[in-house]
Amino acid sequence: MPDPHTYPGAPRWMKVSGIAVVVALLLVVLIHVGGGHNILAAAGLGGHAALESGR
Amino acid sequence: MTMAPGLRKFALTVHVICSVGLLGAIAGFLALAIAGLTSQNDQMVRAAYLAMELIARFVILALAFASLLTGLIQSVGTPWGLFRHYWVLVKLLLTAFATIVLLVKMELIGYAARLSAETTLFRADLRAAGIQLVIHASGGLLVLLVPAILSVYKPAGMTRYGWRKRSAIAPGLHAVVGLQAPKSPAS
Repeated sequence: MPDPHTYPGAPRWMKVSGIAVVVALLLVVLIHVGGGHNILAAAGLGGHAALESGR
Repeated sequence: MTMAPGLRKFALTVHVICSVGLLGAIAGFLALAIAGLTSQNDQMVRAAYLAMELIARFVILALAFASLLTGLIQSVGTPWGLFRHYWVLVKLLLTAFATIVLLVKMELIGYAARLSAETTLFRADLRAAGIQLVIHASGGLLVLLVPAILSVYKPAGMTRYGWRKRSAIAPGLHAVVGLQAPKSPAS
């Protein structure tokens, strides 16, 4: 039986959410670093260059 | 520092109005961003981006700060506290994160509005800005749905700080001060 006076740690929903957030952040970083612009450009949606040239 | 029940209910009402209003305003912003991106009608595109800047500046930004402020008051003025329960902490972090992203993206929103007000409509540039705005508005909407859900379900789980504070209070006092009795992580 667990000791009621010791901290039980983070709840399961926090651990699962934490993992999901880390995975999502990694995906965003990978898309930005690893050619997300190429994917957008291939789909005819690229536009950072146009946006920056417009400034 | 606990608020009186009447004041607490008023603060909660204001917080709910600001938070739900924020969600609705972002949904409206997203609808305009999609219209601006997909419409072939120049007038519609211009109107969409000009309206988006107004909504972002005077409704979304104002409601985001109001939601943060009323949430802080609500947590500090009630036994829930700001750092005692994970769900309160997650709500604070997500709302703060969304507000910071909004502040960063205000420049892009203003840029799209300025482009749409030009005599000649630069479709390619507007499209580039529009794609980013649709992505960020969708992300913001999804991120801010989480605090709304957390507020209703209030999932159990205390932080280490909250646990220490709770342990410092005599067990029989929890019901008196309105604190949630601790649950095991498995429940």
